[in-house]
Formats: sequence, C-alpha cells, structure tokens
Amino acid sequence: MQLTIKATGENVEMLSYLLAKNPANLYERSQKGHKVRMFFSRFTSDELEATIFVTPDPLELMQNKNNSYDITHYINDREFAVSSIFLSLIRSSLGTALNGQPKDEYMKWVDHRFPFTVEFGPVSSSLTDEQVAALFEPMGYEVGFTRPELHYSFDLKEKSSVRIIALTGLQTLQQVLRHLFVLIPVIDNYKHYFIDEKEIEKIERYGEGWLEDHPMRETIYRQALRFKEVYSKVEQATKEEIVEEAEEVHEPKVRLNDLRYDKITGMAEQLKPRSIVDFGSGEGKLSVRLGFINSVEQVLAVEPSEVETLKARERFAKVKDREGFTEPETMWGSLYYTDDRLMGKDLIILCEVIEHIDEPRLPKALDTILHTYAPKSLIITTPNREYNEVYGLGPAYRHPDHRFEWTREQFEQWCAARNHQGHYGLEFHGVGEEQQPYGFPTQMCVFRRKADA
Amino acid sequence: MKMAIPHAGIVLLIGPSNSGKSTWLRKLVQTEEILPSEVVSSDDFRTMVSDNDFIDWRDRPQDEAAGLKDAYSKISEEAFLMLDAVIEARGRLNKRVFVDATHLRSDDRKRYIELAKRLHVPIIAIVFDVPERDLLDRDDKRDNPRGRKRIKQQVQVFRNEKRFIKKEGFAAVYELKQPEETELIKRTNPIEIDLEAGIDVIGDVHGCFAELVELLVKLGYEENREGLYVHPEGRKFVSVGDIMSRGPESLRSMLFFQKHVEAGVAWMVDSNHGWKIARWLGGRPVELSHGDEKVEQEFLAYEAEAGSSQAELLKEQLAQFLLAAPSHYVFKKNGVPVLVCTHAGIKDEWIGKQSPAISDFCRYGDTAGFDEKGKPVRKDWTIAHRSSTLIVWGHDPKPKPLVINQTINIDQGAVFGGELTAYRYPERTFESVKAAQDYSGASDNPLVEWERNRLNPPNIGKFLNGYTVTTEEVGEVWIHPDTVKPAVDAVSHSTLPLEQLAYIPPTMSPTPKPSALEGFLEHPREAIDYYRSNGVDKMVAEKKHMGSRAILLLFKDEEAAEKQTGIRAFGVIYTRTGRRFFDETAEHEVVSRLQTELHRIGYFEKYETDWVLLDAEIMPWNLKARELISSQYAHVAENAVADRTLLKAKLEAGLERISGLQDWLDEYSSKLENARTFTEVFQKYCWDVESVGAIQIAPFHVLAHSDRTFFDKSHEWHMEMNQMLASESELFVETEWKVITDEASEQEVIDWWLAVTEDGHEGIIIKPDRFIAKARGKTIQPAIKVRGRKYLSIIYGMDYLEPANLSRLKKRNTGKKQKMALKEFALGVEGVSRFVGGESLERVHECVLGVLALESDPVDPRL
Repeated sequence: MQLTIKATGENVEMLSYLLAKNPANLYERSQKGHKVRMFFSRFTSDELEATIFVTPDPLELMQNKNNSYDITHYINDREFAVSSIFLSLIRSSLGTALNGQPKDEYMKWVDHRFPFTVEFGPVSSSLTDEQVAALFEPMGYEVGFTRPELHYSFDLKEKSSVRIIALTGLQTLQQVLRHLFVLIPVIDNYKHYFIDEKEIEKIERYGEGWLEDHPMRETIYRQALRFKEVYSKVEQATKEEIVEEAEEVHEPKVRLNDLRYDKITGMAEQLKPRSIVDFGSGEGKLSVRLGFINSVEQVLAVEPSEVETLKARERFAKVKDREGFTEPETMWGSLYYTDDRLMGKDLIILCEVIEHIDEPRLPKALDTILHTYAPKSLIITTPNREYNEVYGLGPAYRHPDHRFEWTREQFEQWCAARNHQGHYGLEFHGVGEEQQPYGFPTQMCVFRRKADA
Repeated sequence: MKMAIPHAGIVLLIGPSNSGKSTWLRKLVQTEEILPSEVVSSDDFRTMVSDNDFIDWRDRPQDEAAGLKDAYSKISEEAFLMLDAVIEARGRLNKRVFVDATHLRSDDRKRYIELAKRLHVPIIAIVFDVPERDLLDRDDKRDNPRGRKRIKQQVQVFRNEKRFIKKEGFAAVYELKQPEETELIKRTNPIEIDLEAGIDVIGDVHGCFAELVELLVKLGYEENREGLYVHPEGRKFVSVGDIMSRGPESLRSMLFFQKHVEAGVAWMVDSNHGWKIARWLGGRPVELSHGDEKVEQEFLAYEAEAGSSQAELLKEQLAQFLLAAPSHYVFKKNGVPVLVCTHAGIKDEWIGKQSPAISDFCRYGDTAGFDEKGKPVRKDWTIAHRSSTLIVWGHDPKPKPLVINQTINIDQGAVFGGELTAYRYPERTFESVKAAQDYSGASDNPLVEWERNRLNPPNIGKFLNGYTVTTEEVGEVWIHPDTVKPAVDAVSHSTLPLEQLAYIPPTMSPTPKPSALEGFLEHPREAIDYYRSNGVDKMVAEKKHMGSRAILLLFKDEEAAEKQTGIRAFGVIYTRTGRRFFDETAEHEVVSRLQTELHRIGYFEKYETDWVLLDAEIMPWNLKARELISSQYAHVAENAVADRTLLKAKLEAGLERISGLQDWLDEYSSKLENARTFTEVFQKYCWDVESVGAIQIAPFHVLAHSDRTFFDKSHEWHMEMNQMLASESELFVETEWKVITDEASEQEVIDWWLAVTEDGHEGIIIKPDRFIAKARGKTIQPAIKVRGRKYLSIIYGMDYLEPANLSRLKKRNTGKKQKMALKEFALGVEGVSRFVGGESLERVHECVLGVLALESDPVDPRL
C-alpha cells in the first residue's frame, strides 16, 4: 500500500514543508506494529517525488477475530491494497498536510496549486476504470490506470483484478489528500470493516468544498458508509433483494406468492384441519397465515435452516397477540429423516418445496410423508413449467436453485406415482392468472386420505 | 453330614440362642473352609453399633428393665439394618454370606427369601435343632447368659415354626440335630466356565443341521470315533440356543447338542424355542407355533418308526437336557469374566446369576408388549450394557453380525436363508456358512423385512438434542446439538442422498509440535518423533497431493448400487462435505471410465466385491477451487507483486539520493521474492482441464469392499493397491511413498521431503504402518501432514518465514485439531464398518452426520 506524490515546476520544494518532512531523511514510525514509512526519491528545485507506504505486520492484521475460521481471513489483499486501513495508518503522518497547518511561514503555500501526479495502489475494486475515473474527473484530474500483465500457467482469469491509479492535475496538496481520503474507501472492495459515526464527520470535513457539488455525491456517501452495520447483515439484505428482484422479473405483474398463500389458506380452511405442518416453512410467510385459520390448534413450521427459522420467529412474534391467532411452533426438521412429532397430522403442506430438491431424492421423502406420517391431507405446490412461455423464460428455470420445473402432465403423473398404495384421492388446481394453453403459473395437488385407508 | 453350599447367595442359620450356630461357623473359619468375611452375625453388628452384643435386664427393677429393653430393641434395629445392607451388597456382587442370627420367626426368614429373590441369588437354610436342656446347660456356662426364661421362649417359637421352614421357599434346608460332623460341599458357579483353548459361539441353528456340521468343519472341528465333533486344539463350541424349530432337522440338532454337552465338549444356553419345546416334551399343554409345530412332526415321524415308548423315552431325555440349559454362560479368562453368551439379551447386574426372572429375560429379551400384528415389540437392551464384558447373543435375525456397545448379535437367520455364524473368541473373528435355502417358509421373513427397512429415513429424534456414537476406536463420541443442526441443514440441501454417503474423511493434524529448526514451521522430524514416542517403529511416508479430497464409491453395476444404497448408479464421487464432486454430466463420464477400467482389470471378480470405496485426492486443484484460486490466491499474488515491484523501483530510484534506503530496498527485494514464490506455488497445483482425461485421481485408501473393510491392512498394502489401480489407468495416478524403519530411511524421507517441497509440492503425510495404531491402549493420530516451506506460504501468508513472523506462528496449538482428527477418524472407521455390515441407514448416517457436525465446529483453518 503506497502513495507517491510527484510535482514539477517552481517551488515544489515547498511541498516538503507542507508535508512537514525533511527530504534528506527517511521517515518511519510504528503504528500498532505496522511501519509507516516515507522517503523522497527526488528532490530538486523543480522536481519532487515522495512516497509514503506502509509495511504492515501481517499477523497483527489478522488479530481481528471476526471470520477467523475461514482461510480467507489469513490470505487476503489487506496487507497490500490501499484501503481505509492504509488511510488510518498514514493519517497522522500526513496530518499537517491534511489539515493545512504547516509552520506559519509556509501557510501561504497551503492554497497554492501545484501540477501534481499522484500514484497510489494497488487498488482492489469492483468499479470499472470508467467508474473510478468518474469519481476523480469532476475535480479536474486526468486519471490513468496500470494493470499488471498476467502470465498464469493455466486458464484462470482474463485480466488482473489489481490496478495502480495515477491522477494528474493542478491541485493544492491538501485537496489531493482530502480527495484520496474520501474516495479510496469508496473504491476499495473491502468487506470486513466497521465504520463508526466519526466516519461521517470525516467525510464531511474532508469533503468540504468539493463533495457537495460532486455529481456522484450520493454514490460516494452510500459506498463510503456502506459498512455502518456488520457486513453479514448487509450482505443478506442484498441477497434477498436480488432474489426478490429476480422473482419479480420472472413472475411479473401479480404477487404470485400472495396468490399462492391465499389459495393454500383457502384450501386449508375447507379441510378444517386442527393440526398443520408447513414443511420447508422458510421465513414463515405461509405459516403465519395458517395460524389464523379458525379450526387450527397447532401449526408446525418445519425448517432446517437456522437463519430462516429466526426470521420466522420474528414474524410470528409480531402478530402473536392478535385474536384468533395460533402461533406456529418452529421446528427443526428435514424431509430426509423421519420425525415422530409429525405423525398423524391433519394437513401437511409442501409449498414451493419439491422443486428445490434433487428429483431422485423425492420419492422416498414423499413415501415418508404419505405412508409414515400419513396425514389426512397433503397439499403440494410447484411451478407449472408450461407457463414459463408466458414469462418468456426460454429453457431457464424461475429460480437458480430449482432442480426441475414440471409440466402439468409431469406433475400429475408424478403425484399419482407417489400415491402407490392408493390411500389418497388426488385433485389438481392452479394458482394465479390462467393463460390458455399454458394453464396457471403455479400448480397444486391436494391429496385427501380415503376413509378406509 | 454332607451339605451342598451354593457358590453365592444367602445361607441362613436358624436356631435358638446357644444352638451352636456361631460355634459351627467359627470352626469352619478356623479350618479355613469358609472365609471370615463370609459370615455376618447379628451379635457382631450389635457390638459394632453399640459396643455391646447383649443387655441383661433380669433382676432389674421394672422401670429399669423397660428402659433397657427399649435400648436393646433400638440397638437390634440398627444392627439389623447394617447386617441387611451387607447381605444385600454381597448379594449384588454375587457373593456368599452365612447369616448368624436366630431367625426364629417366619417373618424374619421371609425377608431374606424376598431379598434373595430380588437379588437373583439362591438361599438355603441350616436349622440347628438342639434339645432344650442342652440349650439351657450351655446358657448357664456362657459369659452373658440369656436367661432360662428367654431360652424357653425361643424354644417354644422354634418348635412351632420348625415344620414350616421347609415350605418357605429355601432352595435347600439342612437340619442339624446332634452336634455332628458336617462336610461342606462348596459349589462353584455352574454357569462360569474357563475359556481354556477358546470357544466358538454358534448362532441360532433352528434345525439347520447340515449347515451346523458344515460350519463346525469349517471351524476345524473333526468327527471322532464316538461321533463327536472335537477340535484338535481343544476349542469347544457354544450354542446361543434356538437350535430347533422352523428348520428341517430339529431332532437331529437337539440330539447332536445333547450328546456334545453331555460329553463336555459343548455348551448350550436356554432360549425361547428351547424352553417351549422343553415344556412340550415334558407333556405340558403348549401351543406349537412359529415353526415349533415342525418339531412335533419330526417326533410323530420318529414315533411311527421307533414306537411310542421309545419316543416317550427320547422326549423325556431331551426335555431334561433342554431344561438343564442355563439362561447364560460366563466365560472367564484367567479368572476374569470376558464373554457372556445368552440367547436374547441380559442385564449387566444379572451376569453370573440365575433365577426364573433372568431366564425369562434371556429367552425373550426386553419386550414391551405386542404390536398391531401381534409381534413382540423388542426393546433395545444393548443400550443399557455398560460393563466391558462382551455379550454374544442371537434370537433377533440380522443379515450381518451386529456389533453394538460391546454386544454382538450372531443370529444371521440361517433358517431364513441367511447365514449360520460362529464368533471365535479370543480371536474375535467371525466364520459363517450360507444356508442352502430359506427353510422357514415364513411369509414374514425377518431378513427380508430387515432389508426392506434398512434404508428407512433415519429418525431425526435421535439426533435433535445431540447424540453419542459408540466407536470401536475411541469409545463414545459426543455430537453437540449446536453442531448437529448445521450438519442436518447441509444434508438436507447440498449433499448427496444420505444412502450414498458412506464415509466423510476425517480432518488431519499437522505436526503436533512446530519444527525445532530455524526457518521451518513444519518438518518431518516432529511427525516421526510423535510416532516413535508412541511406540511406532515403522511408518509410511506418502506424498501429499494438492487437489481436492474426494470419496469414490464405485459399483460393479447398477444392480449392486441399488442393493447397497437403494439408488441405481454406477458410482458417486463426493467431496469431504458430502457434496457431489463433479456436475452430473462430468460425474457420469468419470465414473463410467473408472468402472470400465475396473472391469477391464477384472477388479470386481478378482476381489469378489460388488463395490469399492476409495479415499482419494482429485487433481488439479483448480478443478474445484478455480473461483477461490482466482479471487483469493491470484488476486493476493497480483496485489503483492504489483505493490512490491513498484515500491522496489521507487526505492531503487531514491537510493542515489539517500543511501540509507538500502535496508528498505533489501527488505522489499526479499518481500518481492516471497510474493513471486507465492505466485508460483499455487500454479503448481493447477492445469487446464479440457477433457476428463486431464483429471488425476490418486486413491490412497481402499476403504472397503462389499464384504469387508480394509482397516486391518497396513498402509503399505494400501499403497500397493494404489500402484495396482494406477498401473493401467488413465485417471488413477500413483502416489510416491517410502517406508521409515530406521535412521537411514528416516533421513531418506527427510531428504525426499526437502527436495519435493523445494520444487513446490505440498508435502508428505506420515502414517503409522498400521491403519489403526494404538499406544498404551489409546488410538493415536492415524496420519500427520508435514507441509513444505513453500506451500505453507499460501496458508500462513507469503512472508510467514520472516523470523519475526515465524517465531509467533510457532506458538500454534494443534490440540483441538488432533482431538477432532481422532474423533472423525473413529467415526469414519465405524461408519464404513457399519456400511459394509449392511447396517441400517440410521446407524451409518449417525457416523457420517457426526463427522459433518464435528467439522462445523470451528478450528484454525491453517492447521
């Protein structure tokens, strides 16, 4: 992690006073075991080049216990890439220049604009060259990029994920540094960094005079403060958004989810179950509705994922005092085991579950449900593949985790095969807006246990 | 008078004061016929609790006498509590105890009879019937006379009660009228047997006489002139019972055992069919069903041939023989009980004892009523077995011997077309013969039923709250509920079907101690020292491939796959997290090729197996890890090289001006070298895979075939198998290996390690020659990895060898990693053994899930 400041022309030697560093000496100070170093590789009356860099203590950087059980915690770019870590380490060494507080006799040079070229890197960023350039150009820089050439012995990647950035422009030293102190964290990819309230202050202070009018101001703020919360939470939220967006894309117009829940709840009301098992209940969106069915005394929300279960619990807790609501009980369970607690219930529901399971694993799981748990009724819903035409999906599935999507005929045959002991009567329904000849977007099968079975 | 005294239980002495009980016992102790500790006396306990064995209240004023009487009765009460506690403790321990007190009243005696029944020990009575005048004479002469009145009272009670004693339920009652010579015949425990030359325990024969003889011959027994099958080494055989019923030749089987048991060359325990047939033979009205009716048919045929009187005689003989069979036998080695043989089960506290209740349990096992179809619901008594004594049993047919919790079921359902099994002890090996056919004609063949249910989904309730797996190698392994959940989540979402997951490979520890040498974090020396200090003299060093760990389960054909896993497939290849290694198309291609190769070398025929389970490394690394390599290793390498190259140039440029920069320049030149090494290292394990042919698979353990595991084979054997598999294969590759036995071979391995790791290879793995190695009775690390200096830079960071870094990294602790490695290893061995043994999916899965759960427990990933 390094930053080189070059300037040419008259009075460039004044910069050493603004930096408050003696160009004849090596500068080195220790910060939490990391070495912050600076030297002037050139220093003439019209040419100055100073490099400040950090030689980090790699083991000290790993002290952060968060995520320490992942190998990426030990092998990562933090000891090389310019990042907020770099900035926080060099901040006090560049304090005089950043704050524009040299000795009185040099104060007049603080606002003097020099023809600078600053070079920093390596930069680890998911932004394109254009996006990075757009961050600096409004302040009048020319932005240049250098990428290392790659010579891997096998096909690995097309270009390096690393860049060195060079900015050229007529600026005051203080401005250059302030631009960098705000924008480097915006560019950097890093994920595991906690920024406290002080960061907002810093951005405002360093951004004074240029950030207010920056055309990408919003983006800069959002990016710079994106880690205000623990990253994992942010990451989940992002994922969710993506999934929801994706679903919206593939299943447009109506909230098919809601229609599906309505249909299932309506069907369940007719069946008058006292006990319902919502298998693969996820975050409990269906279970919470089932809790409002009149006849219901017990809803078991079965889900193997702990994260989902926690969300479901929150959802249930929000409405648990409503009248006529039976709070669902979250249960840790899985389709590949037998569970004595699920025996002999009135209704089991598999809502949009089966298509997430490798098809060969399904018959056995369904055997357990129909012939071991033997509920009075079973409701299964799954996408109707034929309807994908309506969405213009082509051969793609509606969700990347779907292992299959079936036509109506496939689903009907499959359901009939699951009922190999003939204990159940089967009926098929559709959910959503019907479009001939494709049918409904979601298909549903209700298995009802025969009286003599 | 001769008296037979049981080996254990209660010998109750009965008689008034002065009748000679204590005197008689003292004499027996003096002549060393019995031990002083075998005697408990109420007087002794009175002394022990109150310092007095007697209080005399005669000739005292009434108020004092009353007080003394009260005191005496309190003392007696306490004394008897202690006395009873001792009797009970000795009873529990199956020891003998002579109880020296008057026991004149029926209630006193009944208490002990009840106690004996509860403790399942025999109780006998010795009655001292001495004339009153002798008692009075003796009383006058003793130090603390009890007084005439009291003696007379006692005699009165004794006379009234005496005639009832015999009917009270004692196993024997001896009466001593005159002071006479007695001779004790001390019985030994009839069900304890010295192991001598070894035994062969035979599973349920059920009239499969031909198979029985075939098995005995296979075990080395030879028929002698008297028609007895005897072993040249003096071994004897033991039947777990149920030698008759269901099968074709019950009568012959019974006669065979009767003859051998009576000749003292075999034993047989009681059993449910044995007991029923015994009562039927004895003329009791019993309903013959479940194949017992076949015995009746045989007798009818015999009667038709030999006449009814002959038949009756035979019935009587056999009834006696069967009724004499005890509930179980305890075999002792050097006096220590090591093996119990019983029919359907036993409780630990009953071992070595006999009673009707014990017989009942041993015949039927632990039953909890009957199910809808009228079949007994069998409860699992093996769970409660805690002692180290091995229990061998039959009764409940399983396709393979089932080893659970120091119990072994050896009923492999010969009569149902299964196998007749023998368990050899002390060798601890099995021998079996296949039944010629299913003789039972039963519609509900238990083997078929068992097989049908074998792959039933495991019961989640068993795992929900954490669970324990009993492993052969490290005993009980506790799986914490917090780690079970992520594991179940994984097998519900991302792994192969449970049925195909036979084994998840264990983690492996690096050298327990860091290298003592400067400039090395790991070195073979510490691994070798670890094994040497654990008494391992011979080790195998194998080159460690750097790719991705994989398990290959390859079947002879789809039928074999369906038989084992319920799923048709040529094979599966999965990662150490149970996920499919390749996408389905690639897997199909790789598996088909491997299967073709195996067929070409006649592997399945040569080894008579339906499948092979291989533990392997699949290369190149980028096959599975391309994304990680690109975003992690290459990215870091590019950062480092770019940063250091640029900085080095700047420093060089500044050197002219400031000579003091030389130190920084040197530092960065060296750092740039580190970055370059790092960049080279990870590329070493990668190459382009344009077709399946570019994939390399290095199998290093042949874990199992359909009929056996190979944990008993040395690593030399496993390496030889590796060479054999690789020799004519396009996909399988050889692993270089060397043996360490002495200083020279040790140095050779170290030099080899230095050379290959300098070239960038990951390193080597050092293993004890034996797959499962123990030191001081405990299983030790099955393997230790020793990684090279260069390779470790992609683990510990490119600058890890800088002295300031290395000295800190050497403080690493491998303790947790080692513990995990051992537990996971034990679970792996256990799981594969169960998989091979055709055990239920639930029993295999608990091991697999256990390893996945342990792996979700975090540990420093650099180890």
